[in-house]
Amino acid sequence: MITLADYNTESSLIYGIGNVGRQDDGLGWAFIDWLEEQSICPKADIMRHYQLHLEDADLISYKKQVLFVDATKAPDVETFQLEKMKAKMDFSFSSHAISIPSIMATCRQCFDKVPNVQLLTIKGYEWELQEGLTSMAKQNLDIATEFFRQHSIFNKSGITYEKA
Amino acid sequence: MSRKLIIDPVSKIEGHGKVVVQMDDNNQVTDAKLHVVEFRGFEKFIQGHPYWEAPMLLQRICGICFVSHHLCGAKALDDMVGVGYSTNTPMLPTPEKIRRLGHYAQQLQSHVTAYFYCIVPDMLFGMDAAPQQRNVVGLVEADPELVKRVVALRKWGQEGIKSVLGKRMHGISSVPGGVNQNLSQAARDRLVNGDDGLISLDQVLEYAQDGIKIFKDFHEKNRAEVDAFAEVPALNMCLVNNKGNVDYYHGHMRIVDKDKNIVQELDYHDYLDYFSEATEDWSYMKFPFLKALGRESGSVRVGPLARVNVTKAYEDNCPLANAALEEFHDYTKGKANDMTLHTNWARAIEILHSAEQIKVLLNDPDLQKQQLVLTPADNAWTGEGIGVVEAPRGTLLHHYRASKEGNITFANLVVATTQNNTVMNRTVRSVADSYLGGKAQAEITEGLMNAIEVGIRAYDPCLSCATHAMGQMPLIITVLDANGKKIDEKIR
Repeated sequence: MITLADYNTESSLIYGIGNVGRQDDGLGWAFIDWLEEQSICPKADIMRHYQLHLEDADLISYKKQVLFVDATKAPDVETFQLEKMKAKMDFSFSSHAISIPSIMATCRQCFDKVPNVQLLTIKGYEWELQEGLTSMAKQNLDIATEFFRQHSIFNKSGITYEKA
Repeated sequence: MSRKLIIDPVSKIEGHGKVVVQMDDNNQVTDAKLHVVEFRGFEKFIQGHPYWEAPMLLQRICGICFVSHHLCGAKALDDMVGVGYSTNTPMLPTPEKIRRLGHYAQQLQSHVTAYFYCIVPDMLFGMDAAPQQRNVVGLVEADPELVKRVVALRKWGQEGIKSVLGKRMHGISSVPGGVNQNLSQAARDRLVNGDDGLISLDQVLEYAQDGIKIFKDFHEKNRAEVDAFAEVPALNMCLVNNKGNVDYYHGHMRIVDKDKNIVQELDYHDYLDYFSEATEDWSYMKFPFLKALGRESGSVRVGPLARVNVTKAYEDNCPLANAALEEFHDYTKGKANDMTLHTNWARAIEILHSAEQIKVLLNDPDLQKQQLVLTPADNAWTGEGIGVVEAPRGTLLHHYRASKEGNITFANLVVATTQNNTVMNRTVRSVADSYLGGKAQAEITEGLMNAIEVGIRAYDPCLSCATHAMGQMPLIITVLDANGKKIDEKIR
């Protein structure tokens, strides 16, 4: 069992990835908005960025645990998914983006440590140049946040969840 | 039977490119084209939006050179509201210096990304190394200490951008006639002195010299190959100041030939009088050229190599970059340098120049002053504006028109990658000639794919910027015979 309360420390980072100007790509930021509105994990560092960069390896090297939140188009994800991430070099790099496993592997290689990292992905459908989530993406966001509501005790032990 | 070779997609560039090489019956390369198959959109999309939104929205074309798009748009809006350079009203010192600081911080960050993340792996591991190694992840495993320095350098650049524009990406600083905030003393001190997790400005200057050292080491060991690789002709263009030296933020356009004779000099507001754009049905990216010289002779190169070819020197307060520039100029005995891979040498010099200029600006007390906006005179509204800056990849132009109500009715963006379209195609042709010319079996080898990518990558093209694309794009290389039949194709 891992709880969001575990992220309520200064050594934690919750990092929303996405672009609110591209419809459902804004899901990662929307989840961060929800955390802030609910005053969940106020002690954690909260970040919103368009995509990961290599220097994020430096950023996470200062943290004990990191939760990345991103939108996904993956067909095997119906609504949302939580997964524990492992460090691994891959070849996804471009000057515009790099994968979470590569960031973690870079962190380990350069800084001799790597935090615990989880990834929450929420299913999205449209990525056009337009603000606002689609109704289906909004539903998935609601399902994810509701899941956390049901499995948590706010302001006490935080939000508990198991792997979806 | 003649053949055609296609590489699609071209990797480690931004956007989706495809290379097609046409062979004849004698196994000679008859043509080679870099196809850009993304679609345009931003110029149309911006129409109808209020004029002041243009620099904010159009910077979203790119996640790398967004500051350049933002500043270029801001300069166009200065024109539109009737202040600044177009009216011979000098921009106030603080906003101009703030804009320049943001611009140099972005140049540092962008060049560090392109050079160390994408180009240095080619140099350290060799063009024949597997793509899995010839990548920044290979660099991480081979030289983590270098990566730590590069990460620190890029991070500093991003913090510089954030300090000026409020966010590390797509922030907002410039407004018509100026900027919306100065640089606080605290932010300035943090950038100069560093803090926990942020290197100091002195370290930036030290790390910024790594790039030149890496290129020179590589060049020393591979001089013949580097110099012979895709030496292709083109005119060289950039913005220059009144001394004829490169100015990344403002100036007039200067175009020089191989002997560095000035072929054309123009006020960028007159760009359309001097330049035309050719189109081809096989690419969404246009081919600009000087009307007076025609498409073949009048195509220009822009970006780092063009700028170091055009400029005679840097500002007196950049001793390290000036020394590096002098060595670069001496190598071709004062002639313009057409060696494609020397673009990377030029880029490394520009990293150092940016760092030195940042140091100068951060020690300028004007950055903390309060006069931020030049207010236009009554009836100063012109409804039309053109801005030009030297973006990391080269000369960038934004041209807008707006209705009386202030809504954008026309937008034209001419980006560096578009300016480089012809010279990039010449580079692809040169590489294809070297690898395929006269060979009976024109198959797509790893070596050919790598070499074509290395050639294209020297320009650090952003095909998304060049076509103002709005979608996600992934290089493809194809060989066709004289009848158009595909005989080989590889995708990366």
